[in-house]
Amino acid sequence: MAELSGWFPVAASHDLPLRHVFQAKLFDREMAIWRADDGNVNVWENRCLHRGVRLSIGVNEGLELKCQYHGWRYANKTAGCIYIPAHPANAPARQITNRTYPAVERFGLVWTTLEKDLSFDVVWPDGDWSVLRAIPVHAGPDAVAAALCKVLGAVPRPDIHAFAYALSTLCEAPVLALLQPQDSGKTVIRCLLSGGAQMERRLAVQANATLTRFRNIVEADASLEPVESEPVFEPVASELAEPPAASPDAMTVRVERKWQVAEGITGLTVVPTTGNLPAFQPGAHIDVTLPTGVKRQYSITDGPGTWKSWTIAVKNEPNSRGGSRFIAETLRQGDLLSVSEPRNNFPLRRDAAETLLIAGGIGVTPLLAMARALAAVRSGFRLHVFARSETHVPLADQLDGLLPAVTLHLALDPAQVAQRLAEVIGPHAPGRQIYACGPGGMTQSVLAIAEELGWPEEAVHFENFNNDHVIDTSSAFAVDLARSALSIDVPAGQSLLSVLRAHGVELPSACERGACGTCRAEVIEGTPDHQDAYLSRGERASNRHIITCVSRSRTPRLVLDL
Amino acid sequence: MNRTESEPSRHLWHPVATVAEVNGTLNTMLMGDAVTVRVAGDHSGIVVFHGDRKLPVIVRFGFIWTSLGSPPSDLFEIPEAAEADRRNVSAGPVGVATSAPRAIENFLDMAHFPFVHTDILGAEPHTEVKDYDVELKETENEILATRCRFFQPMAALSAAGGMEVDYVYRVPHPFCAVLYKSSGADARRMDVIAIFAQPTSEESIRAHLFLSMIDTTHTDSEMRRFQQLIFGQDKPILENQRPRRLPLDPRSETPIRADLSSIVYRRWLSSRNIGYGVIPAAGQSGSAVHG
Amino acid sequence: MRLFDYEYSAECYKVRLLLSILEIDHEIVPVDVHPGRENESAEFLALNVLGEVPVLVSDELILRGANAILVWLSRRFDPEAKWLPNEPMPAAVCQGWLTIADRLAAGVGTARMTLSRGETLPDKRATSEAHRLLRAVDEHLWFAERRGDDWLVPLPHPTLAEIACFPDIALCEEAGVSRIDYPAIRRWMDRVRRIERFTLMSGIFPASPPAPRTPVNQTQTESLS
Repeated sequence: MAELSGWFPVAASHDLPLRHVFQAKLFDREMAIWRADDGNVNVWENRCLHRGVRLSIGVNEGLELKCQYHGWRYANKTAGCIYIPAHPANAPARQITNRTYPAVERFGLVWTTLEKDLSFDVVWPDGDWSVLRAIPVHAGPDAVAAALCKVLGAVPRPDIHAFAYALSTLCEAPVLALLQPQDSGKTVIRCLLSGGAQMERRLAVQANATLTRFRNIVEADASLEPVESEPVFEPVASELAEPPAASPDAMTVRVERKWQVAEGITGLTVVPTTGNLPAFQPGAHIDVTLPTGVKRQYSITDGPGTWKSWTIAVKNEPNSRGGSRFIAETLRQGDLLSVSEPRNNFPLRRDAAETLLIAGGIGVTPLLAMARALAAVRSGFRLHVFARSETHVPLADQLDGLLPAVTLHLALDPAQVAQRLAEVIGPHAPGRQIYACGPGGMTQSVLAIAEELGWPEEAVHFENFNNDHVIDTSSAFAVDLARSALSIDVPAGQSLLSVLRAHGVELPSACERGACGTCRAEVIEGTPDHQDAYLSRGERASNRHIITCVSRSRTPRLVLDL
Repeated sequence: MNRTESEPSRHLWHPVATVAEVNGTLNTMLMGDAVTVRVAGDHSGIVVFHGDRKLPVIVRFGFIWTSLGSPPSDLFEIPEAAEADRRNVSAGPVGVATSAPRAIENFLDMAHFPFVHTDILGAEPHTEVKDYDVELKETENEILATRCRFFQPMAALSAAGGMEVDYVYRVPHPFCAVLYKSSGADARRMDVIAIFAQPTSEESIRAHLFLSMIDTTHTDSEMRRFQQLIFGQDKPILENQRPRRLPLDPRSETPIRADLSSIVYRRWLSSRNIGYGVIPAAGQSGSAVHG
Repeated sequence: MRLFDYEYSAECYKVRLLLSILEIDHEIVPVDVHPGRENESAEFLALNVLGEVPVLVSDELILRGANAILVWLSRRFDPEAKWLPNEPMPAAVCQGWLTIADRLAAGVGTARMTLSRGETLPDKRATSEAHRLLRAVDEHLWFAERRGDDWLVPLPHPTLAEIACFPDIALCEEAGVSRIDYPAIRRWMDRVRRIERFTLMSGIFPASPPAPRTPVNQTQTESLS
């Protein structure tokens, strides 16, 4: 049917209790509408991008909407897919984002529009209004509008809305009616009653009875049987069929709060300058580009479905190359920062029976996000934080919210740390998973102890902040790029990544020190000379991937899938 | 509607009933046309009419198959069903408001087990779909998915406790699929479950379910009940998929690695120019014009 | 106690629901209604001359039909008389809903069984009638919510009205009857599915888990707004 521009009501506020998914339709487009636990109202296309199943039969998990078919989880507000259970060890491509519609909750109604960038412009008459029960009528909007005027003496109020009508015959109080066109054969009448928040039941019953009689008149010659029109859906964006693009994807955020979250550690809460923050997965980090030109990775510590702000924590390194020192000393509240979209090289499986999160100092940051995600779905986990003293525990106040699942281990010497790790790690059982993050020495201990205790490598996940290896760039080798049909020589002294870029091959990168894994490429042939701290031992042995910023080749030639 | 002679699926064999189901005469729909199935009392003479026209008939696996066009001389086989100790049971038909290809694709899918068949064919947190192999067998013109494994809490009536179950899937016909899964009763053999979708229209089917099991303890009724319970859980998912017809454009939905068999299936339908119950990819020569 | 039961039957589901909620020990005897037509066999007709499931056979008596079974189970196993109230008003109102439930079963319930066998509906009467009833139920529930009532009978807890009405309403989309226009019914369905020891059947998915008392992240959002 012909669409009208502007904002239309699609639900009443009272239609959206917590943990419910409401089904709506506007101009042939079906919508799944749900209120998150933080109060935000989401208006989404009623269709999971994966296999087209209606999201209105899905599960409102509070901060995520879970599709009923394959359990794909979409984040509050952004509708970004943040978890695909069929591949629990992989982070989904962050571009998988469900189609959303603008949502405004005003005058007791939820409004949306099919247009982009249209600011909410409905001006409401003064006074208190209460929302009556919506009445769907099996007739098109024009027919309903005409009948409202003819049968009920309604007066159009185009000053309020193209489909607004003043009604004085519904009950003893004045009523404003708004029409929501579902499709060419069905219209929902949404009425608001003037006169106080405490709607008089008698008036509501009266108005409902009058409208019901009105509906019977309008439908008298139309069948009650709905004519199912073909719902309209947006096609999936073409880039979803492609591998994720290596875009600079920078955005600007403002530092809303800066405070000391532990001894020698600065906390930053950043908010978007326009719009909302994109979806992120637990374990994800952002690249922060500082005015000094230095780029650093910091983990997002927030729980699932957060879209208004991110909190990161930065350790002030005495040997700082200009990153942490700038943040600790120069950066002020209100300053702007350039950050990347969230990237995840540390994906969290949510299919574990028990998840052990082991943090060393500042390494607690990605694990805090993981703990919150697991707590939100009541999945079993324990968070162990190792720190020099209580004052060295980052974001201690936020850990309180996760008690009793958090244990602090303070002021231990290396031997005691090793002993304590052995105790908390314990024997492996199916369904147990470890995520460790902290200084290189600590993650190495976790790996070694877990191996000793019989843990399989694929059950132990870690993220390093640093690559402690001394990088040897003395070798020279050739690379063939299978997809680009290019052969390039990498001379001694230059990194593979820099040579690739010099030949116009764009690869995303972040730390460029072999720690974060962002610049990983697939190896088709040849044996890499691994010098990174990102790949696990098994991944190294399989020689299927190479971290291009630091690693080189043991064979004269490498063939990469680029 | 896609009812032209050039539509390839019009020339396929389609199931219309089980022999046992027909009590003299049965009226049903096939691709939008009314057909009448007549079975003589002793099951000797089986005839299918389209108006006055007598349609070709094959009886296989206890089902009556017919075609509105010029079908091939034979229909695919399920050799296991002929084994002497197998229990061959039909568990349908079940009417579903979906297209035949959507139903077949769902039948090939393992990733939904924990969410749709909760605590029976799957349970969270065991949600992982391990990599499996899919090949298009050119000689037989059928799809074969092998090395499929999934953790199941209660794989079959005969299963006690959770176990990782092996699956093999065959798609020998655009609207039919056959699965083989580890038998709970005999570890060396596989149970067979098949779905034969009768397209009553582009967006509705009668799903004929066929079981060929190694099971000496359960009655036919119990086996039917179990299969109907499972398929009944798929039904609301299939009826809430939009569009109901299967979109063949690779960019219309977002497949993942676990969807390999569906990717191959969609490509295979495209290459065979199947235009019924699908939305052909742009530029596809599909014989139909969809409104 | 043995329940002669067919998985797809909404009538049988009513009984399975109450058996589960009241934690009553029982055994299921599957009756292969479709395609086996076991309900038309001489053995079954001897049990129920109507040839219909459910039938409940206990040491004390044989009961045929969902309403009879629900009433007996409530009186026999619910000493507090919550599910079938004793007081005149709720008892009568509850019976009123059992009548509505029967109309739903005869209309949309029968239509659903026809379609689920892969047959076509003779006409649209059943689905039109279903929409007429659903409108009335939705209206009732909307005003109940305004009064602070969660359930069909104005009591602080669910009754047999929920047990009897829920199955055909929850399965009506299988009869081609969409619930998009009945938001109060959709919310009530969430509440019913959150009743302790509620049990599912094929065609019905669980409700979203209820919100915790202190929602996750709320403090964070509040501090920002």
